[in-house]
Amino acid sequence: MMLARVADSLYWIGRYVERAEHMCRLSDVMLNATLDRTEAATQVARVALAAVGDPDPSKAQDPYNAARALALDRDDHGSIFSSIARARENARQVRDQITTETWERLNLIYLRMSDPNVSRAFEDGSQLFLHDIIADLHLFKGAGEATMSHGEGWSFLLLGVYLERAQLIGSLLEVAFGEGRRRKPIGDHFALTAVLRMGCALEPYLRTYTAEMHPRYALQFLMLDDDFPRSMRFCTQQIETHLRAIVRHAGVAGRVGPDRLAGRLRARLQYADIEELESQGASAFLKTVLSECADIHRSLYDAFVAYPLEERLPA
Amino acid sequence: MDSIVSARRDEPNAAVTAAPERPYDEMLAPGGKVHKHYAALDARLATLTPDELAERQRTQERFFLLQGITFTVYGAESSTERIIPTDILPRIIPGAEWARIEAGLTQRLQALNMFLADIYSEQQILMDGVVPRELVLRAPSYRREMQNLYVPHKAYANVCGSDLIRQPDGGFAVLEDNLRVPSGVSYMLANREASKRVFPGTFRASGVRSIDRYPDLLLTTLKSMAADWRPNPQVAVLTPGVYNSAYYEHAYLARLMGVPLVEGRDLVVHDNMVYMRTTTGLRRIDVIYRRVDDDFIDPLTFRRDSALGAAGLFNAYRAGNVMICNAPGTGVADDKAVYAYVPEIIRYYLGEDPILPNIETYLCREPAQLSHVMANLDKLVVKAVGASGGYGMLVGPHSTKAQQAAFADALAANPDNYIAQPTIQLSTAPCLIDHAVEPRHVDLRPFVLSGEKIVVTPGALTRVALRKGSLVVNSSQGGGSKDTWVLSESKGDRK
Repeated sequence: MMLARVADSLYWIGRYVERAEHMCRLSDVMLNATLDRTEAATQVARVALAAVGDPDPSKAQDPYNAARALALDRDDHGSIFSSIARARENARQVRDQITTETWERLNLIYLRMSDPNVSRAFEDGSQLFLHDIIADLHLFKGAGEATMSHGEGWSFLLLGVYLERAQLIGSLLEVAFGEGRRRKPIGDHFALTAVLRMGCALEPYLRTYTAEMHPRYALQFLMLDDDFPRSMRFCTQQIETHLRAIVRHAGVAGRVGPDRLAGRLRARLQYADIEELESQGASAFLKTVLSECADIHRSLYDAFVAYPLEERLPA
Repeated sequence: MDSIVSARRDEPNAAVTAAPERPYDEMLAPGGKVHKHYAALDARLATLTPDELAERQRTQERFFLLQGITFTVYGAESSTERIIPTDILPRIIPGAEWARIEAGLTQRLQALNMFLADIYSEQQILMDGVVPRELVLRAPSYRREMQNLYVPHKAYANVCGSDLIRQPDGGFAVLEDNLRVPSGVSYMLANREASKRVFPGTFRASGVRSIDRYPDLLLTTLKSMAADWRPNPQVAVLTPGVYNSAYYEHAYLARLMGVPLVEGRDLVVHDNMVYMRTTTGLRRIDVIYRRVDDDFIDPLTFRRDSALGAAGLFNAYRAGNVMICNAPGTGVADDKAVYAYVPEIIRYYLGEDPILPNIETYLCREPAQLSHVMANLDKLVVKAVGASGGYGMLVGPHSTKAQQAAFADALAANPDNYIAQPTIQLSTAPCLIDHAVEPRHVDLRPFVLSGEKIVVTPGALTRVALRKGSLVVNSSQGGGSKDTWVLSESKGDRK
């Protein structure tokens, strides 16, 4: 049993920290790639910006300022600063529910991002700056894992993390491998490596497929790998696991929608294979998956957070 | 009903207006010798260089910042979070002195609870003319909705934070009572955490009494309010929300008591029962420790534009299905005009003389005292009865002729709304100011719990006026705080 508002906040902490981490990684890869002034580098910048939802292709010409705005712009709701600030704002609202160790990690990142000298820190070493935020976000997750009770609240937090991750990786794959767009699909070694880096997948990929870069393998790894924590398949398994736990804690098994939706999504990824994906086109498949993620989010609200009161009043 | 003119035995002698005396020094006796109970700290300080002290101060501030013990300052462009200034040097009170404070606070709260129970039922004290009837019934903080409502143990003010000061003669006196939603207890606890880190050896050797049980005692107190009718009552802390300046404290207390921290939007009242919205549906609440002012707890009963409380909450309270702590309407007993009668209230209900004296107070509603106040505006502190937090007051010796004239007009127009007190010399305690130890004025806010019984926590929030010479300790006006060490009886009292 926990307050509906608290569950909501924990869920959004999960979503925002995952979003912030992903954005940092995208910016980091983009800045690193564009140190080379090649066409492939510009393509990487375009992929990164499209994956964070920025439709303006001209920004890819100036990746440094694009990354800077993405990191620090206080007015942009999609910036890393905004995600961190909102995660921390949510954490403050449920300060009684998260451990001091966990809170301190997040508060520390926020204090660093909101420091008056933050621009200078970014300019002094933008990649180091982004790297440190990612490392601190890992510490946040680790502190939560090690000190918080792995009960209902923890499941809401992780549900937020994995739903967000599935949607972010889904968008990245759509931009990188989806067909039906005007730009040409990613094929060369440099760009593929960059995309894998954006999914934090390069090293695990190398151990599975060696240094042989192939769009098919990259798609297969990020979409269908069983064990890699950022593959779509892995994410959907986690979504189902945590939703099941929430339903079990609530004692409403079999009566609510989100766990059914999560089961269906998990099965979709479980039984998909790369031949089918290639023959039907990755775009159509990803579109279905992303819309099912959105359905789970809505259904979660209907069942646990914004439910109609009439149904729950004591007789 | 106005024919009965009440007499206060403590009425100030109008002929005497205290000349400013030398303030009492918490650490140094008049000859410059260190008080026994400060000896250990003094010895420790002698071994630390100014830089080491400053380093400790920085460590402590960082601890507060990291913990999020902050309040938000809203600027024109952006808002920033600041910590309330804290001072690392503890203020030390010997055991015997504390015993007297403890007895005095217990006596006072007992009498004030009896007073509240009386004025919200038979009003015997008003009939006997001990306190003027209209003073109580016309106070804005008097809630007629509370009339004839049963409050278990007659515990109206479950949490009380009275402000004490130490007068030049060394005796403690009560400056004001705080019976509505007193705050600051989280600073008491956080300052303690910090000072244990800064002076562990001195702390251990001094025999400081523990305050760790405060959350536990608070929970017991709250539960005792519903024990008659619920074997294991569900307690919740009601906060106005994350933008409230005391939000940290609300979350802190909820976390340490292990109870939910709820906002108005989490509450639902149905059939005069109060529920909170949980992931598994509605869950009943029995005791609400509310950190929301009376005006805002229920838009149906009090202010209609309030979104901070829950509609129907007060009716559920009337029906006896939920306890609201502190009870609504307790503010009438800490009204600045009623304050002047507290010694009489203690004598009336308990037949005892007050252990802790009041500060002498002129009631401007009484013509003789008003004319004295008018003649001495440059020497007295004049306070509006309804205001708090250091606002709406005239500090005579630090005021301009124009300010005095403005107050004279206000006094003539509405004398009932004002009281006056002599300018009080707060005692001074050593504080770390910019690498050096200097005396600054301090007050003392202990916290008293009352439910089935009254418990005084052996510790307090010591508020500091960090500006040199300033007597204003309010955090909204440049005040800070420091830890307060209450020594066990066997320590620090030997002459």
